[in-house]
Amino acid sequence: MKDSCSVVSKLLEKYFDQEVTEQERSFVEIHLQGCTACQDSLKSMEKLRVLVKAPLDEAVQEETFPWVWEKVERGIRQQERPTFWETLRSWVDITPLFRRSVWIPAVAAAVILILVTIPLFFKKTPSYSEPSVIEYVESQTYNVMVYDLEKAKVTLIWLFEEPEEEAATI
Amino acid sequence: MNQREAELISRCQKGDQDALKEIFDQYHQKVYRIAYGVVRQREDALDIVQEVFIKLYRSIQNFKGRSKFYTYLYRMTMNTAIDHARKMRRAPPSNIHEEEGFQLSEDVEKSPDRILLHKELEERVRVALGKLPVDQRTALILREVEGLSYQEMAEVMGCNIGTVMSRLHYGRKRIQEMLKGYLKERREE
Repeated sequence: MKDSCSVVSKLLEKYFDQEVTEQERSFVEIHLQGCTACQDSLKSMEKLRVLVKAPLDEAVQEETFPWVWEKVERGIRQQERPTFWETLRSWVDITPLFRRSVWIPAVAAAVILILVTIPLFFKKTPSYSEPSVIEYVESQTYNVMVYDLEKAKVTLIWLFEEPEEEAATI
Repeated sequence: MNQREAELISRCQKGDQDALKEIFDQYHQKVYRIAYGVVRQREDALDIVQEVFIKLYRSIQNFKGRSKFYTYLYRMTMNTAIDHARKMRRAPPSNIHEEEGFQLSEDVEKSPDRILLHKELEERVRVALGKLPVDQRTALILREVEGLSYQEMAEVMGCNIGTVMSRLHYGRKRIQEMLKGYLKERREE
């Protein structure tokens, strides 16, 4: 290989692909006239092109395509009539309520709400059915009612100053 | 883009299936050839042709005419074929083992004029192509089979011209290495 071959080899592929400038083309062609190594490289690229192209051209020639067009038409028709699931999916896609950015925080908030409220329902509320003692004492001046809650150790005493009015309200 | 093609595209954008049929008639062989080159399976390549034209009908509204129509279509074909190839992840469809090398059978050697048509050689080329990384294979097919310029290849492959040249160079180098027995033999004739 000549010294200039290393320079030309960088251009040879571009020359083969017809991507060189006029100046580069002249440079390569002058070199090719006296260099069998670069001529061989060029021929090798030409043969490779034939080798790669020939099987693909032959594959095309062996094929008949009218039925492929029929399948294209069928495919287009099918896409024009969306299935139930496609309709549902497209509806879900366009409905803001079903967008991930909406339903994920919504579900998270609902879960938190449930977790917070459930213990409130099961919390033991004070029972007022515990045994108690009620006494009502009548007198001429005051009426007294005593309400004695044993378990809570609480005693409530009502003092009624005007028995007539109190009786009227009941 | 010539006037006739512009008119077809415009009709197709309005939903005219007859216009799509004309585009199909014009391009289906090229689309098939690219698809076949990438996936190397007849049935898969035909599926890709079908898928590409359905996609084209659906998305042709997006074609604004800023690039050539065929680079738009080839790009769609390439992407569909590469997606397909990645999904299938098939081994090269061949029963030829690597260790067999590239010694051609006797009758092939005796008839060099018909050698390119021989099935065995075709299969070897197909296997060699299949061993290339998909980007290099794509570059080789677009250049060697479809004859696209570097600029057009860059548009189809979605990369710059330097990357195109690099993929093409290494693709050629590797496939020449794989087929060197045959290429060398032919040089010595």
